[in-house]
Amino acid sequence: MGWTGRILAGAKFLAPLAVLLVLWPILIRAFNVNPQIFPDITAVARAGLESIRDGSLFAHMGASLARVAVGTVLAILVAVPLGVLMGVSPGVSAFLTPLLRFFSVLAGIAWIPIATLWFGYGFGAITFVIFNAVFFIVAYNTLLGVSTIPMQVRNAAASLGAGRWTMLAEVLLPGALPNIVTGVRTGLGFAWRGLIAAEIIATNIGLGYMIFVARDFYRTEVIVFGMIVIGALWLLIDRLLLAPVERATIERWGMVRSA
Amino acid sequence: MKSLAIRNLSKTYFDAYAGAHVDAVRDVSLEVPEGEFVSIVGPSGCGKTTILNMVAGFIAPSSGEILVGDHAVAGPGPDRGVVFQSFALFPWKTVLENVAFGPKMRGVGKPERERIAREFLSLAGLSHAAERYPNELSGGMQQRVGVARALANEPDVLLMDEPFASVDAQTRMTLQEELTRIWQERRSTVLFITHDVPEAVFLANRVVVLSKGRVLEEVDIPLPRPRRWDALVESDDFKALANQVLQLVRSA
Ligand SMILES: Nc1ncnc2c1ncn2[C@@H]1O[C@H](COP(=O)(O)OP(=O)(O)OP(=O)(O)O)[C@@H](O)[C@H]1O
Ligand SMILES: [Mg+2]
Repeated sequence: MGWTGRILAGAKFLAPLAVLLVLWPILIRAFNVNPQIFPDITAVARAGLESIRDGSLFAHMGASLARVAVGTVLAILVAVPLGVLMGVSPGVSAFLTPLLRFFSVLAGIAWIPIATLWFGYGFGAITFVIFNAVFFIVAYNTLLGVSTIPMQVRNAAASLGAGRWTMLAEVLLPGALPNIVTGVRTGLGFAWRGLIAAEIIATNIGLGYMIFVARDFYRTEVIVFGMIVIGALWLLIDRLLLAPVERATIERWGMVRSA
Repeated sequence: MKSLAIRNLSKTYFDAYAGAHVDAVRDVSLEVPEGEFVSIVGPSGCGKTTILNMVAGFIAPSSGEILVGDHAVAGPGPDRGVVFQSFALFPWKTVLENVAFGPKMRGVGKPERERIAREFLSLAGLSHAAERYPNELSGGMQQRVGVARALANEPDVLLMDEPFASVDAQTRMTLQEELTRIWQERRSTVLFITHDVPEAVFLANRVVVLSKGRVLEEVDIPLPRPRRWDALVESDDFKALANQVLQLVRSA
């Protein structure tokens, strides 16, 4: 896709959002909505500026992003080696696959209660929830990626002199990479949702906490502003960080995605 | 370069689906002297791929032995280069990196292995495609990469399992002519598997006809080289040999 194509695609994506922004104040005025039910766009903008000026927005954002980063990096570091190990050994893979699938469905907010029991309220519990959301999906996708590398490709590497470690570094990891990236992208999507839920329950800082305390004071403009930030941040991470990496591996190599 | 010797080789599979044993290869013995080009032909299911996979070390024989030079085969190794019907290139590596893979595994430094890779790419007529990825190439070009990759590792024996079966007829003839040219330049020991009789005769010094896991007959091919299709299709010697092998395969 060229630059013009990219701008066009971006415009297509943003147009409906722009329409929403235009309709919002019109509808609020037309139906004379109570600001304690739903805020006007100007109040939301003011709340946003205020939170930027007093620095609270960046404190919340920083806390949330740090948790996501730590949980995700830890999860990838454990999940990828485990997934590769399972992928090369059919017995291990057959035994663990059902477990992984079960936990990938469960991963996320269902871990919050037990996480708070184990880690108390705060960083540990929330990072644990994110870790789980990413870990199981990435492990499963890595396993899938490794097991879809054609046997002949592994044979080719072996007959060219690849040993155990070079096979891992030169064949298994790059071969599974498209699946791994897809797994990280999906897992992070769940992690982000889980993060907000966990922050509502288990902490005193973060974007989820920010919108939840605002409720106690009927500050709907802060709630809506926080929701916009949460959605926009995810779109930025997903579109500007994850999607390009996924495209680069899958399209350039012409590999079919199997997840 | 070394000779290849196959002694009393057998392979019995257990077919779990049918619940029965299959004798895919039965007591096959075969000598490929250093620098000779031997083709194995035979009908589908006669055990050609099984033999090649055992020589490559991808599967273990049920009995018998395989020697490269005086070294017994026990698993895959860089002394035996393999060219696959499915190409089996690394899609995440450029053409140059694919061909440089063997030298890289031997610990050859980057500038030197890229020089080697470029040399073999030029031998395969692919210098212009060095920086591309395999999925950007036609099937014929991909298999040229497969051949260059195997040769760049300077194997003692080159093993090829129907390498040209999945390209169109026109390209296949070109690839066959290129392979005979390369073989003449480098005099590798080659074991070439095919079910295409003219291909086997065109390429080889000797054709081994396989039938139901056994060697049925060996036919010497004393045709002069260099061999080119436009000359050979007219040649009575070629037709007679091809006909002889064809009769053997049909009786197999
Ligand atoms: N993994 C396996 N398990 C069970 N039986 C097998 C297995 N691989 C091959 N066979 C059987 O062994 C016999 C020989 O197979 P092989 O693939 O060596 O034949 P081939 O000569 O290469 O055939 P083709 O020309 O179709 O490639 C066949 O009957 C096949 O069904
Ligand atoms: Mg075969």
